[in-house]
Amino acid sequence: MKKIIGSALAGTLGLSIAFGISAGPVEDQIAFQKYYENRFPDTPTEDFANGVYSILPAAREQWEAIEEFPPYELAIEAGEEFYNKPFANGKSLADCFGADGAVRNQYPKWDSERGMVVTMELAINECLTANGEKPLKYKKGKITEVTAFMSFNSRGQKVDVKIPSDDPRALAAYENGKEHFYTKRGQLNFACADCHLLTAGNLYRADTTSPGFGHGTHWPVFRSKWQSMGTLHRRFGGCHKNIRANPYKAQGEEYRNLEYFVTYMSNGLEFNGPAARK
Amino acid sequence: MKFKLKMLIVGLALTTSGAFAGNGTTAEHIEAATAAYKQVAKDTSYQWTTTVRTIKAARKALEAGDDKAARKLAHQAMDLVEATRLQAKIEGETWQMRVPK
Ligand code: HEC
Repeated sequence: MKKIIGSALAGTLGLSIAFGISAGPVEDQIAFQKYYENRFPDTPTEDFANGVYSILPAAREQWEAIEEFPPYELAIEAGEEFYNKPFANGKSLADCFGADGAVRNQYPKWDSERGMVVTMELAINECLTANGEKPLKYKKGKITEVTAFMSFNSRGQKVDVKIPSDDPRALAAYENGKEHFYTKRGQLNFACADCHLLTAGNLYRADTTSPGFGHGTHWPVFRSKWQSMGTLHRRFGGCHKNIRANPYKAQGEEYRNLEYFVTYMSNGLEFNGPAARK
Repeated sequence: MKFKLKMLIVGLALTTSGAFAGNGTTAEHIEAATAAYKQVAKDTSYQWTTTVRTIKAARKALEAGDDKAARKLAHQAMDLVEATRLQAKIEGETWQMRVPK
């Protein structure tokens, strides 16, 4: 029996090595972007950072009006205050992320020492706890104010997620996120790719689905439906619930790897968060 | 070789659900479904809200003294777990087809 399992494992290994040669992350990203550019030839490439509004002229005008008096403005201000507020030990978030916190383009990143993906939210909480402060909740509230401030100051930076080639665990984390994106889940049997790639632009109940290219650029988001700000992982959870899949833990490994893949696919676009969405 | 492994898995699945369909208290059936849900989630990372809800409904029915309904719900939950495992298996083998080349 050991032998059977052993050779079955060897078989899968051989298979993944074969795939590894034929399509690495760079080739994946090029094919991914090209897919949307072909599907939506009227959308200028950089505009995919604007989500569904990049492909839905009918909704765009209203969205542009909202962005003129952005509902996330207060969050940016509150975030700035929190950012500069001294901890009990006299330090502040600025000691971890610099005076303006414009470090959006450094995340998500691979941490070879710990062998894991580190997102900006995780890094913020690690800065807090390392300084004896309480960590923030990951889906909404204070964390979105801090990231709104930091993202706002990072606007215009290019998405440039890296997968270090000297650490195979980084590629494995990416592959894990990639597999998640393309596998059908939940009782309704949908993959992220079904709604955000193959049928992007189609209507699901009352909502048109956005292209997956651009999903990593604009967080946090003020969503009218939430009437509040939310993180990317909050959104992941919402999409999972809609297909009757149990959401995973915000900032757990599953969602961090998914964010690693999703954001990598947006490489080359500009960070433009925070943003408003329906 | 791979085929043999598959047979083994199918065999295991059959024996566990076979034993399950037989005797035991309704509470045990509910616990079996709960354990199976957790095991699939652990093995595959696939987890359905529907299963969680069905297990909860089974517990509630049992508490309310409706043994028959509770047992039926426990079996439904087990079916959902099996469907989840099958989904994970199919997806694990086919997802590459969806990747743009
Ligand atoms: C049944 C269809 C469906 C599935 C499956 C689905 N989503 Fe969504 N998703 C939506 C809809 C509808 C919206 C809201 C409209 C929009 O912005 O796309 C949305 C929004 C989003 C957004 C926000 C886009 C933005 O511009 O702010 C992200 C990110 C996202 N989904 C990621 C995912 C991921 C990752 C998965 C897989 C875990 C997934 N979705 C699965 C339908 C789906």
